[in-house]
Amino acid sequence: MISAPSNVAASETDTTARGPLVLLLVSALGWLLVSGVLALIATIQLHTPGFMAACPWLTYGHTQAVQETAFIYGWAANSAFAVSLWILGRLGGAPLRGLGLLTVGTVFWNLGVTIGIVCIMLGEATAVSFLQIPAYIHPLLLVAYAAIATPGVLAWTGRRQQGTFASQWYAVAALFLFPWLYSAAQMMLLVAPVRGVGQAVVAAWFAQNLLSLWLIPTALAAAYYLVPKLTGRVIANYDFAPHGFWALLFFGAWTGTRHLIGGPVPAWIPTVGIVTTLVLLFHYVIVALNLRAGLGGGRGNVVLGFVSFGLLAYVIGGLLDAIFSFHVFAEVLQFTYFPVAQLKLAVMGAYSFLIFGAIYYLTPRITGVAWPSTSLIRAHFGLAVLGTVVTVVSLAAAGWVQGKGLGDPVMTFASIAAATRPWLLAATAGEAILLFGSIVLTVHFVRLQAATVCPAWGSTSALEASAS
Amino acid sequence: MSSQPDPKFTPPQSFSDGGLLHAHEESVAHRTDDRGSYKLLPLALLFAFSGLIFFGGTYLNLFSGHFDPKIFDERALPHSGQVEVAKLDPVVYGKKLYESLCINCHQPTGLGVPGAFPPLAGSEWVNGPQERIIRILEHGLQGPLTVKGSNFGAVPMPAVGVGGAGWSDDKIAAVLTYVRQAFGNNSPAVTEEKVTEIRNQVGTHAPWAPADLLKIQ
Repeated sequence: MISAPSNVAASETDTTARGPLVLLLVSALGWLLVSGVLALIATIQLHTPGFMAACPWLTYGHTQAVQETAFIYGWAANSAFAVSLWILGRLGGAPLRGLGLLTVGTVFWNLGVTIGIVCIMLGEATAVSFLQIPAYIHPLLLVAYAAIATPGVLAWTGRRQQGTFASQWYAVAALFLFPWLYSAAQMMLLVAPVRGVGQAVVAAWFAQNLLSLWLIPTALAAAYYLVPKLTGRVIANYDFAPHGFWALLFFGAWTGTRHLIGGPVPAWIPTVGIVTTLVLLFHYVIVALNLRAGLGGGRGNVVLGFVSFGLLAYVIGGLLDAIFSFHVFAEVLQFTYFPVAQLKLAVMGAYSFLIFGAIYYLTPRITGVAWPSTSLIRAHFGLAVLGTVVTVVSLAAAGWVQGKGLGDPVMTFASIAAATRPWLLAATAGEAILLFGSIVLTVHFVRLQAATVCPAWGSTSALEASAS
Repeated sequence: MSSQPDPKFTPPQSFSDGGLLHAHEESVAHRTDDRGSYKLLPLALLFAFSGLIFFGGTYLNLFSGHFDPKIFDERALPHSGQVEVAKLDPVVYGKKLYESLCINCHQPTGLGVPGAFPPLAGSEWVNGPQERIIRILEHGLQGPLTVKGSNFGAVPMPAVGVGGAGWSDDKIAAVLTYVRQAFGNNSPAVTEEKVTEIRNQVGTHAPWAPADLLKIQ
């Protein structure tokens, strides 16, 4: 509730793409709730294996796969599409084109994800992480993606502004890298699977790059856009931004194989993963240098708060990845809850927080209606921070206890399970808090949409509500 | 649910999208360095990057097993091409073979069953010439037989070699070495080469009669 609606320049509000973008965001939030509920069930099943055991399609194998699929292909994909298309449209200097295709693509994408999740629950899941949807549904998703990406490509090729900005590089890279990763992984793992250990290598490459080369560039596109917008300052040391971008693209693509340390692959493959994870620190240094104005915290601006936490989680996560991929740690922590905590920090702490910030910023600008309540945004922020910290810290502690126990010949399996139980209970509480935070965001979003129809539902003041 | 403005926060001067692009293009534009200002940051970043590459390169060199597809332990070095085959102890191998087949008649103790299966422990056949016992395993034994003063021969000894159970020469050598050195026996080992030699010499043969074997020294 900072500035009056009149203070926002007319060019800032662009309701032409409202329909398709709101459809993407509604789908994203719906999947966020689905994955939140299933994450809660899956975490309960970690310490109470009998939970929901009577229901054959809700055993741990199913809940874990559905949770992951709903999060990546539901929440992360839909929100990444919405945010990157909106940013490309804004910086292209013209309204988005190809919106009909976008709507059709969105409908079919979400239809595909829904069918895929039903198939997983019926026991049709594949054994590949982040690719559990059965092979025959992926082509539908790939075609739907082509339709969704069209407005982004048009906004990029038809841009009217002189020069380009860092957000555009990251958004366009994500736009083109996802179909490459996704179709290559489908071909090499599901359609015509490569033989032997090659499968493990491709699976590790895909799982890491889905994050490093698709979700993270999208989130960074949002961060590079939001930080100067919200602070009103030019990005510091902007001349280094291209180095940060190319470092991520060049080294990030190789980091996946560090997950194979101790696995049945030639030694050089995980070693290359370890080395590139280390060299990737250069990228994190540049991101931190560039966006340090955003790292400083909200100072009363809760949207900047989301961006701050997301950037902090991203940089800390990169540092942890580099440290804990060395053999001395990996020997203890590999195949425990610890990598789960690292993944949670990346997809929830870094990706989701940056995207939450973008959603809070862009929604008033595509609907022309302010967020009804600053308190709800603050509540969501508090819950999301608490939930993320509790979940990540307790899973990391559980992983450490588990890894130490597994390496100790005297410890029995049952005593390791007993030792990790308190931490898993804490992680369950964290997941519950996160789910509650997502409910707050969804309710708030629905209330804002209702206000576009019936203004009485909305706030009486600012368009900027929470955006500044 | 308050809608009140936050008094602590003053709205920053915001960029338009065009202004955002323009301001950042401007910030990297090359200007004449008339003040001769010297920036430390590019140099520091160059050092940081070089340091990471140096460390990474060294690490890769030390722990990549020279990119050998057969090296799975990152601390190992590629071998010179000479493959070292672990030596198998014939007594250990022979015991395994004995327990898989012979034990059914000759018993775990090697004492056999009086009147049916002759003993191996202290047997003059087992500890006698290799020429005979190799033939027994290769082709079998049938007919009246005397071992340690007792009479046997009601049940024939089946062939274990290629014409019977299909054991290769190294298996026969190993199991013979075992029975010649277990159960209190202490006779020299039987080599694979010796088994091969006799198999090639005799070829296929019906089960031996004990009387014929006794002619072989």
